Amino acid sequence: MTGRRVAVTSPQTRLAHARRRYRGPWRPTTLDPAEMPRAIALYREGRSRAVAALAALGALIFGLPFLLWLWPTLDDVRVAGVPVSWAAIVLVPFPAMVAMAFWQLRRAERAERDLLDADADQGIGADADADVETAGFGTVDKTTGPDKPAGEGAS
Amino acid sequence: MIVALAVAPVVLVTMLIGLRGVAAMRTTSDFLVASRRVSPLLNSAAVSGEYLSAASFLGVAGLVVKDGIGSLWYPVGFTAGYIAMLALVAAPMRRSGALTVPDFAEARLGSAALRRLAAVVVLVIGVLYLVPQFRTAGLVLSVVTETPYWVGVVLAGGVVSATLALGGMRAATYVQAFQFVFKLVLFIVPAMWLLIQAGPEVRTEAVQPSEFTHFSDDTTVTFRVGATLDVPPGAEVVDREGGPRALRPGAWEVPPGTTVTFADGTPVPEVRGEAVPGSDGWERPLLDFDDEGYPLLGTWSVLIATMLGTMGLPHVIMRFHTSPDGRAARRTAAFTVALLSVFYLFPGIYGVLGRVLVPHLYLTGATDSAVVALPAQVDDGTAGTVFTGLLTAGAFAAFLATSLGLLLVVSGAISHDLVPGGLRQLRLAVIGAAAVIVLLALPAAAFDAGTLVTWGFTVAASTFCPLLVLGIWWRRLTAAGALSGVAAGLVSTIGSFLVNVAGPDLHGWVAILVAQPAPWTVPLAFLTMVVVSRLGRPAPWATAAMLRLHLHEHRLSPFVARPQSDSAARDLGHSSWPARRSSAVRRITRRLGR
Repeated sequence: MTGRRVAVTSPQTRLAHARRRYRGPWRPTTLDPAEMPRAIALYREGRSRAVAALAALGALIFGLPFLLWLWPTLDDVRVAGVPVSWAAIVLVPFPAMVAMAFWQLRRAERAERDLLDADADQGIGADADADVETAGFGTVDKTTGPDKPAGEGAS
Repeated sequence: MIVALAVAPVVLVTMLIGLRGVAAMRTTSDFLVASRRVSPLLNSAAVSGEYLSAASFLGVAGLVVKDGIGSLWYPVGFTAGYIAMLALVAAPMRRSGALTVPDFAEARLGSAALRRLAAVVVLVIGVLYLVPQFRTAGLVLSVVTETPYWVGVVLAGGVVSATLALGGMRAATYVQAFQFVFKLVLFIVPAMWLLIQAGPEVRTEAVQPSEFTHFSDDTTVTFRVGATLDVPPGAEVVDREGGPRALRPGAWEVPPGTTVTFADGTPVPEVRGEAVPGSDGWERPLLDFDDEGYPLLGTWSVLIATMLGTMGLPHVIMRFHTSPDGRAARRTAAFTVALLSVFYLFPGIYGVLGRVLVPHLYLTGATDSAVVALPAQVDDGTAGTVFTGLLTAGAFAAFLATSLGLLLVVSGAISHDLVPGGLRQLRLAVIGAAAVIVLLALPAAAFDAGTLVTWGFTVAASTFCPLLVLGIWWRRLTAAGALSGVAAGLVSTIGSFLVNVAGPDLHGWVAILVAQPAPWTVPLAFLTMVVVSRLGRPAPWATAAMLRLHLHEHRLSPFVARPQSDSAARDLGHSSWPARRSSAVRRITRRLGR
């Protein structure tokens, strides 16, 4: 009797190891139909927020070079010896971008908190389906509900 | 010697912190994303530490010396990317539960082919970004210690791969957070010292740009790479005996490895195809590449590439997965904007001082080393040596931190997406990838860090940016559309780079659009994705897959007082959300961990 230890695995595990397929078969993402309205509300809110943020960012990123190109005289105007146009590409964009970032963060977190409060008031989206606009998302497969049991396809 | 004393602690602390991570590391998830337990502030310091590469620490100042004040737009684009990230990508990407961009592509669109293509893109971006890091390591060490170029490259490769192979992402998080603080201090303090020490004369000269026409001192220039100079009449060099010797006017092919000392007061030779620091247009706050006369187009091209490229940089995206949830990922992005903004106030100071004090670096194409060359010009005593050492340490920290993250992503793409395997294979991939990058960096001494890194950004902007933005915000995106869009972006940018390097001499706006292709490759990739997706039909689960990215994780906290609703209401508190949140990821990591 040697003291050798033997790994005891199920035949299926041994098979899986032998195949060296470490990744399981891909399964589509699922979304609980009851959570749909909330997801749509968050998606829409996030989209309008993102559009606002990108518009502000675009105005800064494309507008400032344009202004500096339009008014080359800014190169000759000096504050404390430094040309205004030099200072403008360091001292304007960075504070503006920090302000933008925290404005975005606050808006996003408030939106999610508001929705959470609304859920708590209503009893976690009980009949929210009726309240929240879902138009435009009619193609959603309502059957993709809770996780299907694994290996369903094999039966 | 003092430089060895400066670099050694950086290397040692990096390795020590790396080893500290080993004890806690057990699984692939630990290795890749530190098991997702990193607070927003620590994480944003790590993101910034990882992001502030050699291109930021040295490259921006070098570009200012060479191309002018307009180069200060690069850091603006680098920072702006995080706002776009915050608004569009950070939280949904984290909520997808995918570890990497290829993972995300598969989770959202269910295509194994797309996953492999995304992994190839990760490799391309990783190489474009890593080669300049290793190259700058070699360059900086050779400038300050006279060691050959290859020593620095090999040293950087060895340290990075050892830290990573041992410690993985958990190690990298602490290393990078530490290095951010380190870099910030080592960048700001010498900048202040230089400003004060330089004296009023140099300060006035710095804001009154004049062309670099005459050497103001006996200037020794080492040509590591060969160059072709146009020698003006009257140029003199100092030969070995110390006597002046006139140079023959006309073209002069300088062989690589030559050291030349130009005599005080003689006119400066011009480098073929490069603008002289301080010449006309240098002081304009716009990027007019090669003086083609399209400053606005050049500036916007760089801004588009850097801003949108940041959103698609695989090593930055992976950093967001070390946050515990989507909300923390978003906070990380916002804090990162603030931290980067502090750092980027300073490269300009090095740039304008460098134009006055070390303009001769442009002769050898080594303006990247302006930052570390400055202290010796201001003070040739101990203080100058100490500050050279500090800046070298900071520069070394910069490329160590960036290389850590990039090498992790590259090896992750190889061993997680292309050839799936376990933790041991991941470690081997790290060492293999580092060896290949070192070999590529050895002949790359002539490339600007700024150029190569901007190319990396352009590739990311024209491939991953459309993939992520449309994948998260457009439910009709199909796998075929994403595949063709990413392929179109990749092929067009790479083709453009090849034309730029090997193709014919172009002029006007065409030249700018070939050298900086982002303004057309990004729309091209977006358009291809939209058109091809429109031709096909999205899978029936596509809308659910997209919407789930926008659901926040904590909306059903059991600690929130819930009114008792009627029994017909579904008890979503017990829906299997937490279990499903990242089921794909957990499954993968569980299997990898065996």
